[in-house]
Order: sequence, then structure tokens, then C-alpha cells
Amino acid sequence: MTAFLARRLVLAVAVLAGVTFGSFVLIATKFSSQCTSQFTPAGVANPPLAGTVPQAGSLYWDWVKGIPSGRSFGVVCGGETTSQVWPAFVHTGALLGATALIVLFAALALGTLAAARAGSAWDTSLRGLSYAAWAVPPFLLAIILQSVLRSVSRHGFHWFSIYGWPASCLSGAGAFYPCGPTGGTAHHLLEILRALTVPAVALSVAFIGLHSRYLRSSLLVALNAPYTTTARAKGLPERTVVLKHALRNSLATFTSALLLDFGAIFGAALAVDVVFGLNGLGSLLLTEVGGVGGGDGPRYLNPYAIETLLATAALFVIAASVVAEIAVASFDPRTKLR
Amino acid sequence: MTSARRGLAAQTLRRFARRPVALSALLVFVAILVGGALAHVIAPNGWNVIDLSPTALHRAPSFAHPFGTDEIGRDVLVRTLYGVRTTEEVALAGAAIAALLGVIVGALAGYYGGWLDAVLMRVSDLITSFPAVILTLAAIVYLGEPFPHDLILIFGGYMWAVVARVVRAHIASLREQDFVDAARALGASDARILVRHLLPNVGGTILVAATALVGQIVLIDATVEFFYYGLPASVAPSLGNLVTAAVQVKFGFTSNPTPGAGSWWIWLFPGLVLVLILVCVNLVGDALDAALNPTTARG
Repeated sequence: MTAFLARRLVLAVAVLAGVTFGSFVLIATKFSSQCTSQFTPAGVANPPLAGTVPQAGSLYWDWVKGIPSGRSFGVVCGGETTSQVWPAFVHTGALLGATALIVLFAALALGTLAAARAGSAWDTSLRGLSYAAWAVPPFLLAIILQSVLRSVSRHGFHWFSIYGWPASCLSGAGAFYPCGPTGGTAHHLLEILRALTVPAVALSVAFIGLHSRYLRSSLLVALNAPYTTTARAKGLPERTVVLKHALRNSLATFTSALLLDFGAIFGAALAVDVVFGLNGLGSLLLTEVGGVGGGDGPRYLNPYAIETLLATAALFVIAASVVAEIAVASFDPRTKLR
Repeated sequence: MTSARRGLAAQTLRRFARRPVALSALLVFVAILVGGALAHVIAPNGWNVIDLSPTALHRAPSFAHPFGTDEIGRDVLVRTLYGVRTTEEVALAGAAIAALLGVIVGALAGYYGGWLDAVLMRVSDLITSFPAVILTLAAIVYLGEPFPHDLILIFGGYMWAVVARVVRAHIASLREQDFVDAARALGASDARILVRHLLPNVGGTILVAATALVGQIVLIDATVEFFYYGLPASVAPSLGNLVTAAVQVKFGFTSNPTPGAGSWWIWLFPGLVLVLILVCVNLVGDALDAALNPTTARG
């Protein structure tokens, strides 16, 4: 396990270095930046940020050196420190975590029910629903759910927040600042739950549709396997056969497919974040590329902020793939971590 | 070989035709595509006809305007038809280019193996390990405001990796089979073995992967347009920018939104067509997969 993790860590660092360096050079040699990092030498900020690849490489190296101290994540724009990626990272991480939990439990429940009652009206209805759910883009569902919330809130229903992250706002320059009422920890957590529930549901629905179908199909294969017949022949109740014998063997495929789909979930989370104003990586991305609001396309690019966002996206996906491999190995003893 | 292939194709078609839901989905999908392709015939005046008369401004659906009109009197049905045309151009052409590149890369990697396989598959791994939305956003931001042909090249330029992986796996398993050894023993060149013997056997896999790509491109394109970075609505309407533009008019994105006046028809109808396309593509893709692989179908 340790050797596996070490090898994956080396690979992850190599991928991250390659991706961030390539994108940094591409951006810095083409775009000017209205913002500068603490490392940007005077006079090279505009335009472009770096004239040649070696110049860009030098700026990139400065950025890398600032990572351990956290300095690389602070970018100065108009005298104000911006691009505070950490709060955005936390907000998006919370959304992804809540979504993963909802997808995991809902897809497990629906997929198992569909497989255990294959061919029944339940199965047919779930199949229809899963195809419909799978086809609704998460950003569209988010818009619809937000519309519904807005309507019901006019009739006194205020269980869920319609927009924003509790006590945290994002300025147009990409800086977070405290806003709104703050209470105790329990109150704050409750507010976060109010803010996260509907966005997480909007993000989950499509993936529940897709992954409940995957689970159903792998469970059907397991339910027809000789070891399941043996379990039934031993007189075990059908519930035990399904849950303890068949489902356990299907979990490896299901978990692996779910975690490998994490890139798609991450991409959709950016859009849902924007709809509900959660001030996560999606909101930060729009602020940093500077193309939204005026309606005239991107005006400038901040390579330092873009690097951090790209690296964060890659980090989420790489972490998910490592977890997928460990999960598969733990569910299926025949699989070795290499 | 030819008659066997014809037999397999006929069997696949028969299995596909036995699924009435999938068949209906295919018909609906084709109808939507034909409607989009004939948009200029159905509405020859184009998608940007403004009618500022009070009876045409911001009207809910009616017989005269089945999808209603927007805030400057443009017919939402006409704009949706042209939106379908743009979206289908981007999705079909993008998927075709991605499939072609993916088949070439996957076939070379799967057939030759060794360092070529390792290099091509690591590149493919790198591409597919990134969220597609981020890759597309990054490419659009870098290249500037896109036109449909730019989007086609962007999608074709990285989505080949998805096809390459499945084609590579299939070719790698087929190259060890007796019919390939027999062809080689008869003096067939590598190119002939690949083109005449291996690729025809991978046709089903390619078809299923390309169908899935169409759905993925429609979805990613719409999501990117939601970020205001896809095709601008001033260049051509697409399903994604129609939904997004209407929602932005209603809510605004960068500040806490205020309740809008309920002009739901402006975004709901293009949104429903978008969902309908995705439902049809998913159903057809699954049914094709099931027809080609009856023992491992997702069902």
C-alpha cells in the first residue's frame, strides 16, 4: 500500500507539474494580466506577462517556490489581495462531498431495488426515471430548482437557502470577505446545510440516474453467478443473498465507475456553484477570467490564479482515481495495488 | 468474412429493432436533427427577426408562437430550431472528428503495442483525467471567442482520447486471434490487416462510443455556454446559449439575484429540447450497446 501510494504521488506530482507548466507558459506568453503576483517583476505585467518561454518558465518557478508558504495563492489586483483559493476550495469540496454521499446512497438503494425486482413495474419505472435524470444537465436542474425555491419562498417556505454561502461573500476582484449574520458553530453548520442541500441534490440527480443503472447491471450479473445460486441453495433469505453476497461483489465495479466519473461531477459542480452563488471554484473561475458581467468576453487572464484552479481540478481528479483504486482493491481481494 | 459481417450487422439491427423504446428514441432524435438541418427552410427569415409590435413582445406560448416570444419579439421556436442546427453541427462534426482520430490512435496503439502504445495511452490518460468542462473552457479562453468550427476542432481535438481507449482495448484483444495470424501467414501487410480484418470487427464499439460522444459534446457545450464562454448568442443561437442567455436576463449571475418576472418559456423550451436530445442519445447508445453485446448489456 505504501509503495502504491508513493508511486501514485510521484505520478500525480509529475502530471500536476506538466499541466501547470504547460498552461502557465501558454497563458503568460499570450495574455496580459491586470493583476500581478507578488513575484511579478516590475514592468512585465502588461502586455504580455512574459515575452518568451524562458521568461515564463522563470515566473512559473517563482510561483512554484511560493506554494509551500501559501504566497502563490495570493494575487495582488489593484492593491487588494485576491484569488483566495482556499475558501473556494473548501466550498467546492463541501459540495462535492455532499454530492458523493447522496449519489452513493441513492444509487445503491435504487440500483439494488431495480436489480432485486428486475422486470417488475418498479424496475421499469426506475429505468425511465434514471434515463430522464441522466439527461438533465445539472446546471439546468439547478436553475429549475432555484426557480422553484424562489417561488415557494414567497409563500413562507425558507428551509433552504436560495443563493450564497453563509457569512462569506466574494468581491468582483476575487476576494472573500465576511458578510451577513454570523452565529455560533452549530448555527453556522446549520446554515451551511441549508445552503448546500439543494445544490447537492441538483448536482446528484444526473449521476444517480447513471450510476444506479451501472449498479443494476453489475448486480444482475452477480445475482446470476454460481456463488449466488449456492447461497440460495443453502436456504439463505433473498435479502441476505442480495445484500451480503451479490451486492458486495458488485461494489468494486460500482465504486470504481463512480469515482472515475469524478471529473464530470467536478465540471458540473462548477456550474451548480455559480447558479447558487456558493463562492466555490466555479464562482472564482468566472471572477478570475474576467469575462462575465460586461458580456464582452474575456478581458484579461490571471495566470497565477488559473494555475491554482487547474492544479486544484487536477488534484481532485487524481485523488478520486487513487481512492477508486484503493476501494476496488478493498472490495475485490483478487485486485492488487500496483 | 463479408457475409459473416453482414449477418452480424443484420442480427444487431434485428436486436435493436426489437426495442420499441430505443427505436422511438432514434426516430425522435432523427426528427430533431432533420428539423434543425431544415431550419433555414422552415424559417427562411432567419433567427434574428425582431418584432417590436406590442402584440409580439414577450408573449407566452400561443398558436401564433407555440414557444412564445422573447423580450424583443423574436420567436422562441424559430430560435430553438436554429439552436438545434448549431448544436447538432458542433456535436455531430466534433464526434466524427474525435471518432476518426480515436480510431487511428487506438488502432495503432492496440495493434503495435510497445512504446507506441505506452506513449499514446499515457497522453490519452492525461487528457481523460481532466474534467472535460475545464479542458473546453481552457481551450476557449485561450483561443478567444469561438465560432462553431472552433468548437468542433476543440471537441474533436481532445475527445478522441475516449474513443482511442476503447478501440485500443478491442484491437489489442483481437490481434492475438487466429484470423489475424492467418492473414499474416498469407502475406497481408500490417495496414491491410488493420483496415480489412481488424477495424471492421471494431465497428460496433466505434459506433457505440461515437454515439456516447454526441451526447457528451451536447452536454459539455451547453455547460460551457452556461459559463458564457461558448458560442456567443450574437454569432448563432445554440441550445446552450439560448438557455443561458434567457436565465442571465432573468437572474443575473454575478450578484445576488432578484426574483424575475416569470418568462419561463424563453429558457424552458430550448432546455426541454436539449434534455430530449440527451434522453434519445442515451437510449439509442444503450440499445446499440445491448444489440451488439447481448450477453453484457446494461439493460
